[in-house]
Amino acid sequence: MNHVLTIQTKNQPVVLERLLQVTRYRGFEVAGMEMKPMADFSGLLVTLSIVSDKPISLLTNQLNKLYDIEYLDCVESELTQAEAGTMRA
Amino acid sequence: MKGAELVIKLLEQKGVEHIFGYPGGAIMPIYDALYQSKVKHYLCRHEQGGAFSAIGYARSSGKVGVCMATSGPGATNLITSLADALLDSVPLVAITGQVSQAVMGTDAFQEVDVLGLSLAVTKHSFMVTDVTELEHTLNEAFELAMSGRPGPVLVDIPKDVQLAEVQFKPRLVEEADTAQQQFLPAAALEQARLLIQSAKRPIAYIGGGVHMADAVPQLQDFLAKSAMPSVTTLKAMGTVPPSNSYYLGMLGMHGTQAANLAVQQCDLLICLGARFDDRVTGKLAAFAPDAKVIHIDIDPAELHKLRRAECAMIGDLRQLLPAMSVPTHCQDWLKHCVSMKQQHGWRYDHPGERIFAPLMLKQLSERMPDNAVVCCDVGQHQMWVAQHMSFSHPRNHLSSGGLGTMGFGLPAAIGAQLARPKDTVLAVSGDGSFMMNVQELGTIKRFRLPVKIVIVDNQRLGMVKQWQELFFNERYSETDLSDNPDFVSLAAAFAIPGHSISRKDEVLPALEAMFTWPGPYLLHVRIDETDNVWPLVPPGAANQDMLTEKAQ
Repeated sequence: MNHVLTIQTKNQPVVLERLLQVTRYRGFEVAGMEMKPMADFSGLLVTLSIVSDKPISLLTNQLNKLYDIEYLDCVESELTQAEAGTMRA
Repeated sequence: MKGAELVIKLLEQKGVEHIFGYPGGAIMPIYDALYQSKVKHYLCRHEQGGAFSAIGYARSSGKVGVCMATSGPGATNLITSLADALLDSVPLVAITGQVSQAVMGTDAFQEVDVLGLSLAVTKHSFMVTDVTELEHTLNEAFELAMSGRPGPVLVDIPKDVQLAEVQFKPRLVEEADTAQQQFLPAAALEQARLLIQSAKRPIAYIGGGVHMADAVPQLQDFLAKSAMPSVTTLKAMGTVPPSNSYYLGMLGMHGTQAANLAVQQCDLLICLGARFDDRVTGKLAAFAPDAKVIHIDIDPAELHKLRRAECAMIGDLRQLLPAMSVPTHCQDWLKHCVSMKQQHGWRYDHPGERIFAPLMLKQLSERMPDNAVVCCDVGQHQMWVAQHMSFSHPRNHLSSGGLGTMGFGLPAAIGAQLARPKDTVLAVSGDGSFMMNVQELGTIKRFRLPVKIVIVDNQRLGMVKQWQELFFNERYSETDLSDNPDFVSLAAAFAIPGHSISRKDEVLPALEAMFTWPGPYLLHVRIDETDNVWPLVPPGAANQDMLTEKAQ
């Protein structure tokens, strides 16, 4: 199953590393990632495309615990596994 | 004042009385500010030992533990202890010095990316880049360490921030609103009550989250009103009084047969502040196979993580448990559980004159003061302690559960002794574990701490050897410790008296001598290397398939 996570973070050091570390450690694969500062530079807006057979709640519940995460939204993606694979960095 | 002085003033303001640490170049300004401070610093002999002492302090008292280290190797030496605190949800604040920001990123002397290293082993971590953020960051660190599911928080402070000038106005300490009423999930509670009332074979599976929520009285009321059997995890031992007829002991890999069989047979498993750890469940797919599950935790990420719950609630057990207390209708089940408890009781009729560790620990348990704190290391002795000693409160049994860290016991006992100076504190260690933080004997000597040390010595890495015997065709790879030092002489080098015993008839006089000695004492207990821990659920097996044939 593929999912797209839209995440709003605080403007703090290592916040991207935290997101990616938790995602990797909990056994999810990042198929795509976009990042840009918020309009007021108060934080980052990060979009993660996630590929995994595991329930996505196992990841979102852990990400939601991160102190620097302000907001997280998760939607199922239409992306196929093959398409997701082409986006992998 | 300087940032370094602010750190110490803030600790004083927070009522921190004891901290543990080791100085070094990048944290020297903070150590300078500490000089003649009201905060008492305990110099450990290795940063890992200092952080374990802070953990022992926190776990035995319920307060936040605080430790400090310098940059580079000082900080990396904290990593194991931070991981231990994370896995066991211990409130810990670690303050590390960092090289000045001007040289950060240049591979400066004793520079390492502590913030990066901390990601996997802390609940959260900060690096303070501006001295004006220091006060707020430290306040956040303490708040985070204690709030929700407690855990370790690291604050990395570059030397230039420590030396920068800053304004600090001591504030009135705000009273925390600990009795804050939360929204109770009415529908889920009603569902839980119905599940409990209709269950024929309910059982409470109790974890460390209960006492960490300060919900031990509510748990005991719940068990009294909704009469049902209970089992505990390693961390929760002491939550249910051993005198409770329906308490079946610890469950899991080395749990009691009654506890494991009852959980496998139950039709309702009420999981309270526990997390279905693999050492508890054995083969997960076969764990409590007929049970519906009620799961309550403060951490939303634990719900449905490993086992789907029919009824899941996030919240404060102090409020949820009273709202779930309804009568059960399971007299036959209670009788069955009591019968299993009697049928599978421990036996201590060990032949010969060699010391039988389970019996020795039972005798130790019977002779130690009621409110004594026992700090374990990791391995066979740890499981024997859990099986054969009794505890009146979980804060009296400190054991490295999640991370299983050898070397935990001795420094944790130092922290516990400082947190609870009026109580007897014991470090029960194995010969392998003891050597991992043996340098902390120096801390015991320096501060004349009356810690009682019991080393259960089989001259082996016993638990690994047991697995080699059972699962690796008796190929004893690197588990022979028969060249151990003379532990009594080693203690004597730190002015700690001791005694060595190897026969059953020596145990009681030796325990008497240890408990009557006013200061620190080391009791070296030689046991047979062939003694193993039973029962044992083999890896990958279901919990009803315990190995017990060599138990007696």
